[in-house]
Amino acid sequence: MVDVGAPARARILVVDDSSLVRLYYRSTLEKAGFEVEQAINGIEAMERALSQPFDLVIVDVNMPRMDGFSFLRALRCGAGEMATLPALMISTEAETRDVAAARAAGANFYLVKPVAEAELVRHVCALTGAAS
Amino acid sequence: MSGSGRPESRSVHIEPEEVQRFCEFLYRRTGMSFTQGKRYFIDRRLEDRIAATGSSSFQAYFSLLRADADHEIEHLINSFTVNETYFYREDHQLRCMTSSLLGGIVALKPPGSTIRIWSLPCSTGEEPYSIALWLMENWPQVDNYNIEIVGSDIDTRALKAAAEGIYGERALMRLSRDIVSRYFRPLGDGNHQIDEGLRGSIEFTRANLIDTQDMLRYRDFDLIFCRNVLIYFDDASRRQAAENLYDCLRPGGYICLGHSESMSRISPLFSVCRFPDAIVYQRPEADHG
Repeated sequence: MVDVGAPARARILVVDDSSLVRLYYRSTLEKAGFEVEQAINGIEAMERALSQPFDLVIVDVNMPRMDGFSFLRALRCGAGEMATLPALMISTEAETRDVAAARAAGANFYLVKPVAEAELVRHVCALTGAAS
Repeated sequence: MSGSGRPESRSVHIEPEEVQRFCEFLYRRTGMSFTQGKRYFIDRRLEDRIAATGSSSFQAYFSLLRADADHEIEHLINSFTVNETYFYREDHQLRCMTSSLLGGIVALKPPGSTIRIWSLPCSTGEEPYSIALWLMENWPQVDNYNIEIVGSDIDTRALKAAAEGIYGERALMRLSRDIVSRYFRPLGDGNHQIDEGLRGSIEFTRANLIDTQDMLRYRDFDLIFCRNVLIYFDDASRRQAAENLYDCLRPGGYICLGHSESMSRISPLFSVCRFPDAIVYQRPEADHG
């Protein structure tokens, strides 16, 4: 596994309604040296993003109450750093139109599930500027 | 005094016919079948419960039990269940799950859909947590599906311990140091508590395998781990349990039993599937009954 060894550990917000998926991403990223917070939907993620700084948000598409697209649009309307917080969208939806919708909502990058550990770490390093 | 703790036992003489009556009662309520050969096991637990309830005789205790005073039936069942197990026990079945079973299960499911896995009886949680850990460590599709893991047991005391997720070194002996350091938090007294996120990812419920009414709540499982419980049942209860489990599975779903158990000897409902890592039993795909 890749150890990013960054001097200040980048903080990642993982947003997914599946507890096992959140745990899988969190465990993978913590093993690689990142600090991880979690949220179960867009509403909880907004509350987290408003109350503490993050270097990256990883967000699923299909979630109850507030989905990933709505969350990203709300995030991009936010003030200061929230508007420019890098966002990686990860979804089971694999068509070109899904990627386009993610871009339009404000995602910086889009991955299709399943995402292998090394692939996840590589993209998170790239989006946070951490050395991989 | 009442409660599920283990008090100082005192000697209460119990007649063979009283043991017989007691065993019949236990069988009707739980399906657990004990013969006179298990007399020591039965007496020990009965004496504990007689002392715990402050009963003066077997007869006094039995009246209290039949009236279910202070949830005595639950306390009694808790004292009769065996809850010693460990993580990654019978790991060939976990390997079978990721190398053979899940591929077939997801073949007809679009990404993002739900996979339901049931650990019954789950005792103090080692098995359902092992399933979650194994999936995260060994199944590349783990984030591609919404995996629901349910752990059920008849023993409410075991379920409480499962939800707390605190384990000693012995329970963790089959796990790598890496897994222990990533998913457990040392408590300083030699015990480890399993990750909060992992605890939240399993739903723990009380279930009675031979109670058909109770089992109606459990449906649409893709995979059931039901290990080392049918050995406690007699033939009639085993058949009832097998029929209940059959109804809890989706058509095409699988059930894993303990290594000494065979569904073929219990019920003709299931097909036998021999995979490289394990023998499992399948509810036939074509039968939607």
